[in-house]
Amino acid sequence: MKHRRLLLSAALIFAVLCAVAGRIRVLAAEGLPDVRLNADSIAPRSIEELTGRNVTRDYAYAWRDLALALNRNQKGMLNDYFTGFAKDDFANRIADQARSGLRTQYVDHGHKVKAFFYSIDGSAMQLIDQAQVEVRILDGDKVVHQENGTQTYLVLMTPGADRWFVRSIQALNNASDF
Amino acid sequence: MSVAHRVLSFLVLAGVAFAAELHPPAQVTAGSGFSMPTSGSGDATFYLIGPSVAIKKTVHLGQEVKVDATEVETAGKYVASLCSSDNCSSSTFYVVAGAPDRLSFMLHPSRVPVSEPNAINGTAFVFDKFYNLVLNPSTVNFQVVQRSGPPLNHTVKAAHGVAWMRMPSTPKEGPVKVIATVQSANEPRVIQQVASDACHLRIKASRTAKGVLVETDPVRDCSGNAVPDGTVVSFTSVDSNGKTTVDAPIKKGIARAELPVSGTARISVASGVVMGNEITVGGRS
Repeated sequence: MKHRRLLLSAALIFAVLCAVAGRIRVLAAEGLPDVRLNADSIAPRSIEELTGRNVTRDYAYAWRDLALALNRNQKGMLNDYFTGFAKDDFANRIADQARSGLRTQYVDHGHKVKAFFYSIDGSAMQLIDQAQVEVRILDGDKVVHQENGTQTYLVLMTPGADRWFVRSIQALNNASDF
Repeated sequence: MSVAHRVLSFLVLAGVAFAAELHPPAQVTAGSGFSMPTSGSGDATFYLIGPSVAIKKTVHLGQEVKVDATEVETAGKYVASLCSSDNCSSSTFYVVAGAPDRLSFMLHPSRVPVSEPNAINGTAFVFDKFYNLVLNPSTVNFQVVQRSGPPLNHTVKAAHGVAWMRMPSTPKEGPVKVIATVQSANEPRVIQQVASDACHLRIKASRTAKGVLVETDPVRDCSGNAVPDGTVVSFTSVDSNGKTTVDAPIKKGIARAELPVSGTARISVASGVVMGNEITVGGRS
């Protein structure tokens, strides 16, 4: 009888742990913004299916990390999915924000991404992103600026050992020629 | 007069300050400072938030707010905001790249066989002096400088900051320099062209004490470049005892091997996928 109770308790604890772990995974997945990639007109190299999946995944991670880094003023959060000019620029902004007591909040409603250039040697990919993002800039708790709408970004991604990095990301005023 | 207008007039007459509106230019070239007039009086807090800056400073209303050239070096969207004690007014503007001034150039591969179609490809990214991608159309020239002969030029229009080209390798082995140029900026890269597969592989044979010594003529590719030493050449003899194959590396341009031959034998030669001539020798019985 005592053994049965112990077994029952152990099974119950195991079930609770599994449910919690599953929930954590779900929450992590929910934390990623929605990214839809269209590579129908990419040139001069065509995109492999796995590459398309990886670019989509890593671009979503990059936006998640950027939102966290700019909100918490932690430039270390840029290390995983940013490199080159993009990383340097955002790191400078974060350092400035931290000095001035500012922070930026993003509420990400998703990205429609079109991949249009993939170099022949596979070393660079250019994307155009129609991002639906709410932006709030705060000085302490005071909202200095807020906006909500679609912003177009020109993005350059380059591959690393096991992932794609955002090397350059630039907000565009006029995206009519894309 | 409406109630709202009356309230507004009262507040103005009473001297209540409103946050002054900012009117930045819609578009600014990277690294170009500018000023914005403000109205009103007293102090306010000015914020400038851009891709690589977040500036907060106190300004005096009624005077111009100056944005330094160093504060708008990165292309992208900026927010300029002016806050008084109770409210903020903000505007956005875009900074765009200046004239092409720098290049990032990738040439691939680093070693390539001669006379291969579409074997060499290059991608050049066009930047201004602050490393902003130049999105206005610009012309990039790719100049191929060979060891001998005149340089070859490929001119490509950069689209969205990128120009790329694909070209065949030239017929002569050795280093080839490719220089990407946009306006005053240029970036050279060097690739090594190596001989291609052997071409017109020919052998001759002479009798020795142990059998037959077979050797090639100097091994060259179809463009006349010497195939590198170490490249393996296979000699095969078929005689009454069966088939014998000996692999020999090229040394000083020639591959040679001694084959044991019994009676009459047919000897052939190959290197990689390339077959050479076939000869018949009479062996010792």
